[in-house]
Amino acid sequence: MTAPSFEEFLRLSVDLTAFGETELLGTGLARQYLAKVRAACGDEIVTALLDAHRAARTEAAGDAGDAGSLDGILLDRVLLDRALRHRIFSDDRLGPVARNVIKLWYAGMWYALPPEWTDRYGARAAGEASTVTAASYQEGLLWRAIGANPPGAKGPGYGSWAQPPRIEDRYLNGATK
Amino acid sequence: MTASTIDSRDDLISYLHVAMALEHATIPPYLTAYYSIHSTTNSDAAHIIRVVAVEEMLHLTLVANVLNAIGGRPDLTRPGFVPSYPARLPDGEDDFTVDLRPLSPEAVETFCKIERPGRAPSADARLLRAPDGGRPVLAFSPTAEGMRFYSIGEFYAEIIEGLEKVAAGDPKLFSGDPALQVGPEYFYSGGGSVTVVSDLDSACRALRFIAAQGEGLDSGIHDADGELAHYYRFRQLQLGRYYQVGDDPDAPSGPPLGVSWDEVYPVKVSARLADFPAGSELARAARDFNAAYGAFLALLTRAFNGQPGLLQDAVCDMFRLRDGFNQLVRNPLPGSDGLHAAPTFEIPAAAGSDPGASRPAGGTARAVIR
Repeated sequence: MTAPSFEEFLRLSVDLTAFGETELLGTGLARQYLAKVRAACGDEIVTALLDAHRAARTEAAGDAGDAGSLDGILLDRVLLDRALRHRIFSDDRLGPVARNVIKLWYAGMWYALPPEWTDRYGARAAGEASTVTAASYQEGLLWRAIGANPPGAKGPGYGSWAQPPRIEDRYLNGATK
Repeated sequence: MTASTIDSRDDLISYLHVAMALEHATIPPYLTAYYSIHSTTNSDAAHIIRVVAVEEMLHLTLVANVLNAIGGRPDLTRPGFVPSYPARLPDGEDDFTVDLRPLSPEAVETFCKIERPGRAPSADARLLRAPDGGRPVLAFSPTAEGMRFYSIGEFYAEIIEGLEKVAAGDPKLFSGDPALQVGPEYFYSGGGSVTVVSDLDSACRALRFIAAQGEGLDSGIHDADGELAHYYRFRQLQLGRYYQVGDDPDAPSGPPLGVSWDEVYPVKVSARLADFPAGSELARAARDFNAAYGAFLALLTRAFNGQPGLLQDAVCDMFRLRDGFNQLVRNPLPGSDGLHAAPTFEIPAAAGSDPGASRPAGGTARAVIR
């Protein structure tokens, strides 16, 4: 079996986190996160997750997806959302792993999979709750999403805490700052 | 001895604008090397580069104080204030190229050249003809056309002599508004204490401090306070060992120092926006960084024109710029054989960059309309 592709893991992560590829690579942790998921769940399951994701994207591309490559095709967001729920999140095996990948990116921490999952699909030592690296807490997407700095890390400058959070417009859903 | 190229207050102002651009121009190369280092690695090298970069920020502030003291207006938003990299700096008879590079032996070699002590062999060798064509050499003379200085040290020596000469004939030379000075209450824990400039003596002290901190001019490897000059800080990275007080410049005898040249993001040397795939997320991130840097320079300009309290906001901006820097260097640059992206420091022309627009008039907060 070939190792799960880093590029595909990155594309999956973009769809799961709603952060862009540049931002995900900008954490400097993408490769370590893939390594963590592989160690915690095994390559067979990671490959199945990436396959399901590819299938969901093909589905969302509609007729255009039949041609093969999805590069440069604007996916129907509603169709993609539905396909991801159908093929990944409602799947007993892949759903919990995908949720864990989201938590990994947002919190910088790998959480143990639920006991129902490990009972059925196997437990691994690397699947225990753990921090990936010393840098992963401060690179958690959660801080970017709420426009805040990770408490106790990534010094933001004296007095900056008195300023309102700088939340990017795309996360405001029309609300004003 | 060659005739002075500084005859008036206006000449001094022109020179000090060049000096501000020169001090600033060293910062992007230092930061590029610094942020190319993988986090949690290379702490010795990171610390050395960081200390020097922070001291360059002090130098920039000192020059701004001298400029304000003689009635000039610091402006970091002038076209060309940020050079187009690779830039050129003098190194005696020759000049050399300053690129934006990842931490590497080449980068350290460049840093040593930037900071190398350079005294012209004779007084009339201070000014040299700048090479025709090509990129301008940063330590140029704004009054003697086509001429550049033998070294940064000689450039500052010319300004100090010019200050003495003009001050002797013009008792009102130092009539700048004292409220424009950035004092230690606004600039602190940044590589030494800032000098408030109010007369010839304090002006010369500020400029000599810059030369001494860079090159260790006249004072050996350590200065009177026991601080190691920049040149020798970088030499430690080449020689693999720290200096101790009393060491010979070629033979540091302190603890060994290791550099892991591989624990570095291989950023593309002096990357340009044109190297980024058009319309890509990464290109947008690079453009956003440049715009944020331009806004940051505009904020510093306001801080140096009567609102020194803004330096505190500037510090917060520096942390945001750090995050933007890190994001870029961690991203591979498509189509560059595995090289990574980095800020290009191509600053977009911004509207409303006139510092006069934000300088309070007569001590009130009203904007000056000119």
